[in-house]
Amino acid sequence: MDTLTFLLSGTLLAATPLLIAALGELVVEKAGVLNLSIEGMMALGAAVGFIVVSNTESYWLAIFIGGLVASALSVVFAAVVLLTLGNQVATGIAVGILGLGLSALIGQPYESMTVAPMARLPIPLLSELPIVGRGLFDHVAVVYLAPLLAVAVWFMLMKTKLGLIVRAVGESPESAHAIGYNVNAIRFAAILFGGFMAGVAGAFISVASTTLWANGLIAGRGWIVVALVVFATWRSGRIVIGAYLFGAATIGELLVQSFGLAIPSQLLTSVPFIATIIAIVLLSMDGRSIRLNAPVSLGRVYHVTQ
Amino acid sequence: MHFKTLTWLAVAGTLFTAGAAQAEEMTIGFIYPAPVADVGWAKQLDLGREAIEASFGDKVKTTVVENVPEGPDATRIMNQMVTDGADFVMLGSFGYMNDGLRLAGRNPDVSFLHASGFKQTDNFGTFTPRNYEGFYLGGLAAGLVTKTNTIGMVGAFAIPEVVAEVNAITLAARKANPDVEIKIIWLNSWFDPPKAQDAARALVSQGADVLFSLHQDTPSVVNVAEAEGVYVVNTGSDMSAYGPNAVLASVTMDWTDYFVREVGAALEGNFNGSDFRGGLSDGAVKVKAWSKDLTADQLAQIKDAEAKLMSGELHAFAGPIKDQKGQERVAAGANLPDPEIFGMNWLVEGLEGSLPN
Repeated sequence: MDTLTFLLSGTLLAATPLLIAALGELVVEKAGVLNLSIEGMMALGAAVGFIVVSNTESYWLAIFIGGLVASALSVVFAAVVLLTLGNQVATGIAVGILGLGLSALIGQPYESMTVAPMARLPIPLLSELPIVGRGLFDHVAVVYLAPLLAVAVWFMLMKTKLGLIVRAVGESPESAHAIGYNVNAIRFAAILFGGFMAGVAGAFISVASTTLWANGLIAGRGWIVVALVVFATWRSGRIVIGAYLFGAATIGELLVQSFGLAIPSQLLTSVPFIATIIAIVLLSMDGRSIRLNAPVSLGRVYHVTQ
Repeated sequence: MHFKTLTWLAVAGTLFTAGAAQAEEMTIGFIYPAPVADVGWAKQLDLGREAIEASFGDKVKTTVVENVPEGPDATRIMNQMVTDGADFVMLGSFGYMNDGLRLAGRNPDVSFLHASGFKQTDNFGTFTPRNYEGFYLGGLAAGLVTKTNTIGMVGAFAIPEVVAEVNAITLAARKANPDVEIKIIWLNSWFDPPKAQDAARALVSQGADVLFSLHQDTPSVVNVAEAEGVYVVNTGSDMSAYGPNAVLASVTMDWTDYFVREVGAALEGNFNGSDFRGGLSDGAVKVKAWSKDLTADQLAQIKDAEAKLMSGELHAFAGPIKDQKGQERVAAGANLPDPEIFGMNWLVEGLEGSLPN
């Protein structure tokens, strides 16, 4: 494995779970709900996915069930914020802690165990390309699916009637309600989707990229996802850029350390965060565009009788 | 009336027997910072607990609380343990120190053992492994087997304990193979297995064919080494099951003798808080799982160094040692004294990169 192959393949592996979870969170936030429990849902998805692979050796099933279980956890969040009108920030954090705790509990018998890595699916011809072939086109299928998912989410949000309804609910739930849409039902569906994607992202980490389970495996990636969505000003394209940029910077930081340059490692460790923030802030300098894309009623409690 | 008296007598009798039983057995509480898995720091501590049970049988009763984060949770749990009647408490993480000391001060009858601390009192002892001795042997082996002349290390934080290991590896590896080049990646995180794996892959992409997994509790780096076909030396437990072809050696910690000795002293009422620094000669650090790929000659060299380290004939930090700026740190014929080993904040000659001040 040469340097460039590692840089490319490492970037894709690091960015894929961030991108998947961020796309889910994007849809949730576009519907006007701020779900801060991503970290916990990813951890639960990772634990469940790992358990499924350990027992069945079926990776796709593991990723799917990881998503489903995280989705089930997001039902708790949805019930509190939609039915009992709980504060979204507090509920999200609480449900996130619940998810982390549940993942530690169910993952306990599997602590520090490993599984065989998911089979890679090299793309014919492309993976034979000189220089970049092996880095970009010799991965597990999920890595290729992530950018396609981004296109699908963009298309759904911006080009379909369903997307228009989701955005309407996020902009002005009162108006959406007035023209006959069930705001809570739509938000509920969006939250379930977000939970599913977070679970898939977590399961990807435990069964496809890291191939081990340990309590605390997600190590803060859920919070990076939340930050990505906000810094990308709720635009799918920028989420893609942000996720891959962050992935490239985390890998680049490690590579620079391995070159043995006399740069303090703490500074390098902070580079991915700084670089991603600067890049996305530069992209989003235009205040008008932020106002245009930010869901107006994000985080606000909505009740039909208001 | 008669019946009532009998009942009272029975109750009193039961209480008395229960009291007597309690006085006989010593309750020992263990607090671990991580869950007890198949491998890792908590597992090695728990092996020590099992040894206590095996040695003292009915005389002791052990309780465990695992996965306790440093901070208010740990304080609450250790206080509860003592309130519930623990006579002996093992605190398995550096960060439990201040609350542990306070608790020990309030309960002079309870004995405490604390991992990696630097403060002792009459009833509060500390234990620290001399891992650098084990890693000296690992470094020697790495220098002997590397074909690319490149060794890569994945370290958690550049704290003195880990810096001492990095230096010991470098000194030994360069002794075995003067051409060897050594690369370090600091994760600046105690726990991030995906990042540890990325770091390991980065080192492999730069030509490293022997990796060192320094203070990674999970087999993350071992996993990558096995997949990439390179060797790895890991910390904590024997991880050869996770990398049957990859593990060159495992530098493990063994607290069984020490725990049994301290608990024995406490049972006799002679516990005295001391500062235990255990290395190869105490059996507290053991290098296990030597790879089958090592030739008989290589293994003999390693075993010879091991015997000399144990007898004291060889010291991991025997002079002359220069730091990376070329300044002499240890004179020829001298050994680096303990306080400087456990406070190491400089890199030896041959290492690139810098340390935080």
